[in-house]
Amino acid sequence: MPYLRSAPVMRLGIAGLTAAALGLVALTAGYSHFVIALVALTTVAGVGLNVLLGLTGLISFGQAGFYAIGAYTSAILTLHGVSFWLALAAATLIAALVGGLVAVPAMRVKGPYLAMLTIAFGFIVEHGLIEGGEVTGGQNGLVVTDAPTLLGEPLAPAGLAVLAVLAAGASLAGFDLLARSRLGQAMRAVRDADVAAAALGFDPVRVKTLAFAISAALTGLAGAILPPLMLFIAPSSFPFSQSILFVLSVIVGGAGTVLGPLFGALVTVLLPEALSGLAEYRLLFFGIAALAVMWLVPSGLVGSLARLLPRGREAPAAAEAGEPLLPGTAAREALILDGVGIRFGGITAADGVDLTARPAAVTSVIGPNGAGKTTVLNLISGFYRPSAGAIRLGDRDLAGRPAHLVARAGIARTYQTTRLFGSLPVVDNVALGLAPGQLWRRARARDRKTADGLLAFVGYRGALDRPAAELPHVDRRLVEIARALAGNPAVLLLDEPAAGLSRADTDGLARLIRRIADSGVAVVLVEHDMPLVMGISDHILVMDAGRPIARGTPAEIRRDPAVLHAYLGGADTPARPRSAPWQGPADAVLSVLDLTAGYGAAPVLDGVHLDVRPGETVALLGANGAGKSTAMRALAGLLRPVAGAIVFDDQRVEALPAHRIARGGLVLVPEGRQVFPELTVVENIRLGAFGRGTPIDPAEVERLLDRFPGLRERAASRAGLLSGGEQQMLAIARGLMAHPRILLLDEPSLGLAPAMINALYATVAELRDEGITILIVDQMAALALTVADRGYVLEQGRVAARGTAAELSADKGLEAAYLGAA
Amino acid sequence: MASFLPPTLRRFAVTTSALFGLAISTAQAADTVKIGLVTALSGQSAKSGEAISRGIGLAIDEINAKGGVLGRPLELVARDDEANPSKGVLATRELIQRVGVVAVVGGLDTPVSMAIVPIANQMKVPFIGPWAAGTGITRNGAADNYAFRVSAVDALVDEALVAYAVKTYGAKKPGMILVNNAWGESNQKGLKDALQAANLPAAGIEKYEANDVDMVPQLSRLKEAGADALFLVGNVGPSAQVVKSLDRMGWSVPVVSHWGPAGGRFGELAGPSAGKVHFIQTFTFAGNASPKASAVLDALKAKYPAIKSMADVTPAVGIANAYDATHLLALAIQAAGSTEGPKVRDGFYKIGTYPGLIKTYDTPFAPGRHDALGPNDYVFTRFKDGEIVAVTN
Amino acid sequence: MLTSILVSGLGLGLGSMYGLVALGFHVTYAVSGTVNFAQGSVVTLGAVLAYALGVTLGWPMPAAIVLALAGCALFGLVVERALVRPFVARGSDAWLLATVAGGIVLDNTMLFTFGKEPRSLPSPLATKPVEILGTGIYPLQLVIPVVGIALAFAIRTVFRRTDLGRVLLAVAQNADAARLMGIDVRRTVACAFALSAVLAGIAGLLIAPLFSVSAELGTLFGIKAFAVAILGGIGSATGVILAGLLYGLVEAGVTATLGSTYTQLVVFSVIILALTLRPDGLLGRAAVNKV
Repeated sequence: MPYLRSAPVMRLGIAGLTAAALGLVALTAGYSHFVIALVALTTVAGVGLNVLLGLTGLISFGQAGFYAIGAYTSAILTLHGVSFWLALAAATLIAALVGGLVAVPAMRVKGPYLAMLTIAFGFIVEHGLIEGGEVTGGQNGLVVTDAPTLLGEPLAPAGLAVLAVLAAGASLAGFDLLARSRLGQAMRAVRDADVAAAALGFDPVRVKTLAFAISAALTGLAGAILPPLMLFIAPSSFPFSQSILFVLSVIVGGAGTVLGPLFGALVTVLLPEALSGLAEYRLLFFGIAALAVMWLVPSGLVGSLARLLPRGREAPAAAEAGEPLLPGTAAREALILDGVGIRFGGITAADGVDLTARPAAVTSVIGPNGAGKTTVLNLISGFYRPSAGAIRLGDRDLAGRPAHLVARAGIARTYQTTRLFGSLPVVDNVALGLAPGQLWRRARARDRKTADGLLAFVGYRGALDRPAAELPHVDRRLVEIARALAGNPAVLLLDEPAAGLSRADTDGLARLIRRIADSGVAVVLVEHDMPLVMGISDHILVMDAGRPIARGTPAEIRRDPAVLHAYLGGADTPARPRSAPWQGPADAVLSVLDLTAGYGAAPVLDGVHLDVRPGETVALLGANGAGKSTAMRALAGLLRPVAGAIVFDDQRVEALPAHRIARGGLVLVPEGRQVFPELTVVENIRLGAFGRGTPIDPAEVERLLDRFPGLRERAASRAGLLSGGEQQMLAIARGLMAHPRILLLDEPSLGLAPAMINALYATVAELRDEGITILIVDQMAALALTVADRGYVLEQGRVAARGTAAELSADKGLEAAYLGAA
Repeated sequence: MASFLPPTLRRFAVTTSALFGLAISTAQAADTVKIGLVTALSGQSAKSGEAISRGIGLAIDEINAKGGVLGRPLELVARDDEANPSKGVLATRELIQRVGVVAVVGGLDTPVSMAIVPIANQMKVPFIGPWAAGTGITRNGAADNYAFRVSAVDALVDEALVAYAVKTYGAKKPGMILVNNAWGESNQKGLKDALQAANLPAAGIEKYEANDVDMVPQLSRLKEAGADALFLVGNVGPSAQVVKSLDRMGWSVPVVSHWGPAGGRFGELAGPSAGKVHFIQTFTFAGNASPKASAVLDALKAKYPAIKSMADVTPAVGIANAYDATHLLALAIQAAGSTEGPKVRDGFYKIGTYPGLIKTYDTPFAPGRHDALGPNDYVFTRFKDGEIVAVTN
Repeated sequence: MLTSILVSGLGLGLGSMYGLVALGFHVTYAVSGTVNFAQGSVVTLGAVLAYALGVTLGWPMPAAIVLALAGCALFGLVVERALVRPFVARGSDAWLLATVAGGIVLDNTMLFTFGKEPRSLPSPLATKPVEILGTGIYPLQLVIPVVGIALAFAIRTVFRRTDLGRVLLAVAQNADAARLMGIDVRRTVACAFALSAVLAGIAGLLIAPLFSVSAELGTLFGIKAFAVAILGGIGSATGVILAGLLYGLVEAGVTATLGSTYTQLVVFSVIILALTLRPDGLLGRAAVNKV
């Protein structure tokens, strides 16, 4: 029944519900009209809040303020003889204006700060009305006894109920339309990844302001119908608790869903009505009932119901024959950086950077971690404002312009960690990139086709309507590139696109980048993968410590002694194998038997067996998605439950939580380092000793700082400010503090510069020679096998091959299939 | 069909239909005559709501024991307004339109009653106030007035307060310390008028919020202005804070108060100086020798076992006013011979003599005179050992 | 002059209590990124339990106080277990409303068990005012800021200077990595909620003799404390304490000069202004965030 989610069905459903509500008005009388109208008005206000909460991801605990503004505007105007219908429009407009004003400070704050800001707004409105004197009637409020008229006939409560129901129906339909429109998608894009949205040309300030204004307008409209219905309004009609009720109704109904506010309104209005007989016990039971609903349907009524519906049809991307061409022709303009620099506090992050990226060429920026490569990309794309220098595209100076304007000028980019709009389907992610920054573009069928073509161009073969958050890593990279290309940019900035990709995927990526450049785009590539960089670059800029140290063609760079020293380091001195073959006890310290684990229905690991013996170094290899990191998480206890047995030190640990396993001495240095960013380097190291339960000898910390001199230099700085390589060393140092019985290293070389990787593997070899038991997972399979004694190769969650490091290295078939040439 | 629905869906369907059913089911067979009560049953003033309910409950028992009204028993339907005018208005509409009550009895808070009265007038259902004293509740200017009251009236109370301050303390330049809400506003006007009539200047008018704990700044301004007596208007909590603030300032000034302190354990809250505050009441059980008073007290103890001592009937005004109001309402319905609003309203005017708890009423209501109690019914009292006792000069 | 001294006396007193309750918000937020919006009700709970045990049942006050605080801690644990964890585990933000609902339930339960009318918690420190510089003030009003500030700084020191504090910070920054260090994250978060509730309970005990004890004692108090936490920068203990004192002073100052009718209006406007100028609070700092 996939059609249940389609636009016509939703519209029909809303029309049906509206008709049913009108029918209910016709069939009932008196107080029921009042209740129906209240439900309808709460729905309208809830839809308003849903625009903020559900689409834009902004919380507001001040909606009662907009409700009050609408109500008072309408009441005061009608009391002064203005027509109710005119007052209705005025109330909506004034609420929208105030909403836009509230957005100004709201723009700058996030999370609980935004919650507080909106709470304060609600209180200010309430107390402002109290002190409003004659105009607002102060605490006494305003009595509105004159019913509004339509064509000379006074609107009875029934008429108001009809009006409210129509407003509710219209607002639900409007929300549906908005959610499907480009503006609505831009709102979700800003929510999912505001930085990426800005880099697509969407001004987050404008999008959020619009969201606040729309939200306030709807809530104000609902409020404007309130006075003739209630016959009385006072500041006490709009207390803080009313704002909480609005939030409750949206969350209980299901934030982000079209019908959520309706169901939420039914609960928050009818429940108190149903409980009114409880008199003084009403609030108590309302609290309990609200909790019960939240426990039963944590993702909201509609959210939980929607889960019962089958998912939409997952149309695969158009698999056209041959290599599809990049649609459109990019403007042929060169990007020129002239002496660009930036300082953060006292630190110079980039200085005197000159760079020319020519159309139809790949210009690469390489350098060790912390050299300032990403900083340069951030300067170009407008996230940082340079303190010196000029950035020109053609004859336009872009230095210091905000990201959305830079994007509209024709500069697109991708990110080290992909920043897709997770809740949006793949095809909409790409379609949002078309016509950068336009909020009012009508979603045309052609857009979908264009997006489809772009996805085919980058080689994406997955489903078009799948939410981007569910994509595997490789596809995220591809979709992000497609999204960047959608705006038909003159310049494409790629930030470590090959990080985490297998050799085969990286080769595909290289061909893609070359084709993009050939179509006329000026490509700027920041990357550590030397085969990739050397293979496709026309021009290379090498940076170290924020400054350019060399530039030239790949051939020139390869020979440059300065580059060799700073960056490639001992690229010719590979990791050291064990001097003599390992000999040790045959009893495993860690045995894995028939391990099966996964995140959803399909297991990622399927009956894995492996052993690690004391003092041994074992490599766990395999292609992307083979289940290596999943295995590490399962061993460390981060992934539970798992089936099968994990025996560590003669103890079954497959049911133990992570902290118990860590205390036992199985220590994982996780993928992505995972240092504590706000703690200092030394604090991070000391925390490593927490689980072992013995006091820390200061000399021990000193010894570690000796081992990692890079860390000693930055011992007192926050770990989050370290470069990737330094963070990896810190993570290993932290792991060593635990006195591990076995050390698990998950993708330690990920995102590191070649020299850094060599230093890292030298350290791993040292640890191995000191007798530490190691289980290592690394994308750089050949390197891992160099230091390892034995290895396992995973394929689709199963052990496909095992053997000594030498055997596995010699197996050419395996190398081709899974390992690639490092 | 239902069995095809998944459990979540089914649970949801059942809940919604149940809710709808509850919400729109209209009044059941009207075999009883229903009286609505809208008052604060939770929150700070909950105790007063309880007193009113008890007064009505006792009166209804007596009336029903004698066969009810129009041959039908009376029934009380209570709603909590949380001291919030909007909630009060909502509850009133629900009582009138859904439950179908004959009349609505109000509560302690003037702001709530002020909001309800226009609704009652519009829907032509009598409203009887047993507590809230705001002048505008009964004197609301409506051509067709359905608001009655068996309680104090601010305008009259304020005259009494001024007279008392002048007579007892020889006040020449009194100051006002008032709660910042409709009740305070009503008294601000009343006190100003009363002072003007007595040809006295006001040292100053200060206001405070209902949840303030420190009134020293306001009181300091009054002291500097040379106030020689204070008129206090506020509920029991903030009234106690005024007394404590006076204590801290070391300012010993006579305090003549509206009846806020009667609403709770003023003696405990205000500390040792509580007894210095003299406040107005329409009724006290303590020191009341009338046989009716002791009979009602005994009946109360029998009906509500929670009442053990005089201290448990501290908001005696609430009980007494509500008790008399209910009896007067029953007489009005009886006189009207109908439960229709306009007829019951006219029924109030037809009440002759009724020997009540507070006094014997003699044609208590007439068009243009909707207050059953007047200045002669006020007594000045103070707290002594947790009980309210009359001040004996 | 006279007034300003008095104002600062009470302003600092209330302000330090706001700071104490706000510190409770800080503790749970720092550890779990969640807060207990029933904090205000816990303020009430502390006072109500102490009254019920110490006055109604006549227990010795020290025992009553200890048990009252234990009761608060227990409630904190229940909130975490029942109102926060189930929602956080499902990635839902509904904990926000669940804790609000929990506060409503607690308030009303107290209303029907403790009683509807406000009571007065007796304290030897709040019966006879002492005269300081010509102004009467209860000794308790001097004790409150001293205890409040001392307690607040003690907590701050624990967080900033001890390994235990770093464990809490580690949990906050990366719960999975903290697990890998052998830290029991669940228990740490539960402890933070208990501690947070105890802080609120202490505030309730301290202010109860000045206010009257009723089921509504803490409602507005909780909102103000949340404002204080935000104003200070909810991630910074020092900021939260300072913001509390500042809030108390501004509130008292506005009340003294403009009258209490304008207090909320002015104070909440100041909050919006302050957040516009310093979006991360007074001492809050933006987290390390690389693009």
